[in-house]
Amino acid sequence: MAKVVVLGAGIAGHTAAAHLRRKLSKDHEVVVVSPNSNYQWVPSNIWVGIGKMTSKQIIFPLEPLYKRKGIKFKQAKVVDFFPEGSSDLDKAHVSVEYVAGEKKGTKELVDYDYLINATGPKLAFDLTPGLNPGKNNTYSVCTYGHATEAWEGLEKLIQKAKTSNEKQKILIGTGHPKATCQGAAFEYILNVEKLLSDLKVRDKFDVKWISNEYELGDFGMDGLLLKYGSKNIPSSEMVEMLFRDRNIDWITEAGVTEVEDGKVHYETLDGQKHTEEFDFAMLIPAFSGHGFKAYDKANNDITDKLFKGFMIVDADYTPKPHEEWTVQDWPETYQNPSFSNIFAPGIAFAPPHSISKPRKSESGLEIFPSPPRTGMPSGITAKLVADNIIDIINKGTHELHHKGSLGNMGAACIASAGYGAFTGSGVSITTYPIVPDFKKYPDSHGRKLGKTFGEVGLAGHWLKLFLHYAFLYKAKMKPFWWIIPE
Amino acid sequence: MEITKFQRFLMMNPIIQFFRFIFLSLKIMIVVAGGHGGTRK
Repeated sequence: MAKVVVLGAGIAGHTAAAHLRRKLSKDHEVVVVSPNSNYQWVPSNIWVGIGKMTSKQIIFPLEPLYKRKGIKFKQAKVVDFFPEGSSDLDKAHVSVEYVAGEKKGTKELVDYDYLINATGPKLAFDLTPGLNPGKNNTYSVCTYGHATEAWEGLEKLIQKAKTSNEKQKILIGTGHPKATCQGAAFEYILNVEKLLSDLKVRDKFDVKWISNEYELGDFGMDGLLLKYGSKNIPSSEMVEMLFRDRNIDWITEAGVTEVEDGKVHYETLDGQKHTEEFDFAMLIPAFSGHGFKAYDKANNDITDKLFKGFMIVDADYTPKPHEEWTVQDWPETYQNPSFSNIFAPGIAFAPPHSISKPRKSESGLEIFPSPPRTGMPSGITAKLVADNIIDIINKGTHELHHKGSLGNMGAACIASAGYGAFTGSGVSITTYPIVPDFKKYPDSHGRKLGKTFGEVGLAGHWLKLFLHYAFLYKAKMKPFWWIIPE
Repeated sequence: MEITKFQRFLMMNPIIQFFRFIFLSLKIMIVVAGGHGGTRK
């Protein structure tokens, strides 16, 4: 009998647990440890942030589902890793602390045969002084709670604007020089703009984009050359076209260094320092590792064997200049090289480097997006990790046959550009591969044209809505859920 | 680049967009479910 412990119940953790449970016999144990009692479909947070959905529509409680399916659930946070065991317990284990219920505050050692670390990122608001959701007129849409709060703030501002002659300033984008997840901010700004237009108050607002991207449409993926209709255009042109059409102004190359009440301080690549005022801001924070510690059997600190901020996996972490980066640097199996029974899919693995070209301001401040690894790649990497563990348990194989490098994986980003059954729109973008392969596709910015394309229109909105219901159906493990691809 | 009136009509016409929805769904399935793998030998 094998015991697989999954840390985290987000897109990666929940996907891994669901596949493990479906394919492993009941003789084997699947345990999920997560501080969150709910599963949330994160891509729909932006609709909660404009009041078009409630948080209840994008979440469901995990415990009843796991009970029905035979997955053990512990609502707890992981504290330390003991991959060799410890003086308290011989077997490899993690120490966890319960965060709710009768056991709240109680610590427990959870042993495992296989460990999947899918703890995602820490939302590192603390890395930008003054950036704190709900404070200083700044908000976030990173969680359903934050998105609910953002809608409350936005709704108040809309009411204020209706009775005021002064223009209100909305600022949306990234809140740290190395923040990622520009896509979520991009969706949110377009949805906010559409909402203001629908409410016929658009003329009372200045809507501005602020980002650490070198140019619009970088999205932390070094931009894309994509097929748009009959043309091949850079993603920067497509985003610029949309922003001009919506009368959205933009600031790029901006590393936000501090937030005050209604003010954001930022530095640009030329080393200049600026201030931008706002009445409402939604700024994506930096993502960081959780600061976990790891110990060997003799209680010596071995954190550097497991973590490099995020978890170390089968990537090539050798420092090298941007010109020498290759797709082979990126991991294939998400297995920790020191402990072969530990894996880290989704956002929990440490990337070898960014995808966008690293840039420093004249004062030495690094201003460029970190690599995005959200949504679809999280699900795909979690499934392949689960499949490898299933093969090891069922077939006794030691070679990992399921591989999925971001350099050999396609992804779709269906970005909402406004909500409405017949007035909404979406920007549908697919990319292949996610990490550009400049050797394979030297003439199309490292990606395969045709498989890398963009389209704007009402169909994109329907598609995003369809995916919302389809992926919640899948996450609830309803009949034939596994047919829906990650 | 800018969105012309005709392009806007194409983008927002529900009948045209219904067919684009089917086309996009299939195309995305091909890209995403088209498989993935390693990059090293």
